[in-house]
Amino acid sequence: MQSTTNGHASPAGHAAAGTPLPDEFDVRILRQDAPDEASYWERHRVRREPDMNVISVLQRIAAQAKTVEGERVAPVAWDCNCLEEVCGACTMVVNGHVRQACTALVDRLLADNPDEIELRPMEKFPVVRDLVVNRRRLFRALEKLKTWIPVDGYYDAGPGPRVSQEAQQEAYPLSECMSCGCCLDACPQYQKIELARREGETDAEFAHREQEAFDTRFVGAHAISQVMLFNRHPTGALSAGERLDLLMEAGGIQDCGNAQNCVAVCPKKIPLTTSIGRAGRATVVRAISKWFGR
Amino acid sequence: MSTSSSDSFFSRHEFLILRLHSLTGLFPVGAYMVVHLLTNASVLAGAPAFQRNVDAIHALGPVLPLVEWTFIFLPIIFHAVVGVMIVRSGRSNASRYNYAGNIRYTLQRATAWIALVFIAWHVFHMHGLIHNDYWMNNLAKPLYGGQFDAERATSSVALALAPLAARIAYAIGVGACVYHFANGLWTMGITWGLWQSAAAQRRANWLCGAIGLLVLAVAIGAWVGAIRVGEPENLKDAEAYELARSQQQKDFEEREARIKEELKPEQTNRAAARPTARARTVASEAAAP
Repeated sequence: MQSTTNGHASPAGHAAAGTPLPDEFDVRILRQDAPDEASYWERHRVRREPDMNVISVLQRIAAQAKTVEGERVAPVAWDCNCLEEVCGACTMVVNGHVRQACTALVDRLLADNPDEIELRPMEKFPVVRDLVVNRRRLFRALEKLKTWIPVDGYYDAGPGPRVSQEAQQEAYPLSECMSCGCCLDACPQYQKIELARREGETDAEFAHREQEAFDTRFVGAHAISQVMLFNRHPTGALSAGERLDLLMEAGGIQDCGNAQNCVAVCPKKIPLTTSIGRAGRATVVRAISKWFGR
Repeated sequence: MSTSSSDSFFSRHEFLILRLHSLTGLFPVGAYMVVHLLTNASVLAGAPAFQRNVDAIHALGPVLPLVEWTFIFLPIIFHAVVGVMIVRSGRSNASRYNYAGNIRYTLQRATAWIALVFIAWHVFHMHGLIHNDYWMNNLAKPLYGGQFDAERATSSVALALAPLAARIAYAIGVGACVYHFANGLWTMGITWGLWQSAAAQRRANWLCGAIGLLVLAVAIGAWVGAIRVGEPENLKDAEAYELARSQQQKDFEEREARIKEELKPEQTNRAAARPTARARTVASEAAAP
């Protein structure tokens, strides 16, 4: 396995000096054929090419559709879209850490661990197939907390209020959230919810039951941060109280355990724990003013 | 929002309950712990100082149980019960995501369990849990419980901490409590939005760390103090002081009883005006050396 580099993709600055990268490497993938079925590990061998990322590795694996043992298998399924770390679709667990596959560069991964690359689906979301997961709960949290600005109407409301440069500087990082779910996957307070369809249950009934389960469990750092983004926007602030009330319901801000993994794994470096601190203060003020006020 | 009738009391009031859990951690539970450790550390100043502090607490007399239940037992029980629910709602992944914050999160939960077991045992060890003679004599005492005696504060603490196992248990237990307090102070600041930005949280980290080290120093003082008074010579001194104190008390009680006795016939037989004068003379006789 250990041999000379091809002279092209020498990952200067990443690999330990003098450690040549292997010509080929193994990829261990945790596969699952369907939602209700058991998962299993499978090993594939891929020839290293210059500037590979995990997506291109998965393309090679799909093309080969053959394990290390030579067994013909169905191609591994995965999700991807933008390939520049702004959509979040290719989020998966690479070498034990949740991240986007598109920016997981093979040379760097091999520099850290030359033996193999380990791929797993996100652990907090139900697996659809192989590395594809169902992140409906992530979007439901945004829906529940109304993280948008309600400006729909039949007439021209005129220009919105001016936003100071300072406020824009604060809001911009929060607006970079791509709903990838890294913060949730790494969060020790966010547990997987995977419901099985009951016999004779219609789609609507199942969706309702699932939504009830989602709505009483932790919303997660991404949603708390989005509440803070829209509550600080001058137009969004018109419904700030409503969002805070929703954030105080079961599964709200109070479920945060301050492990701060969210901010550590966020690929966009969003100050999620600052949002959590702000939401903590805002909800307390809101609760007290509601209790003693109106 | 859909709120079905199956929602538990806890989930309906989750925000309030968890905020109260956070608050009770500092006040009164954390604050009480600091006062407790300061009182204990006064044993470093010798048996009389420690005994005086214990006497000051027990001066509350019949109100003491009320104060204990309101500010100590009920808040600790609440903090513990809700705390167990919180710990059970999380699943540590510190082995995979070994960031400092995540390790502290895990430690906060580990120390919570240690503190829970330690405090329950500690109340049994020192006070026997239940104030009932049969329980005390037949169960608590044979199991090394109910060791503390407010009348012999110093020597009873010294004897309670004489076995090596007890010393180790207190070092681990109190250490866990102090970590839980200091780290809890830091997370509380985020929970209540006192420190928000990453820089503010870093500064708060130093502050809470410093507070934690200070409380730890007091705790170590209390621990060392309790062990030091257990050394044979110091223990003898403490016992001598406590014996003298109880003799003084006995003398005082006898004298008080004598005065009462002398006053009694006057009060029952004579009119209201005279006994006052008589009482004055008796009191001045009694006060004379």
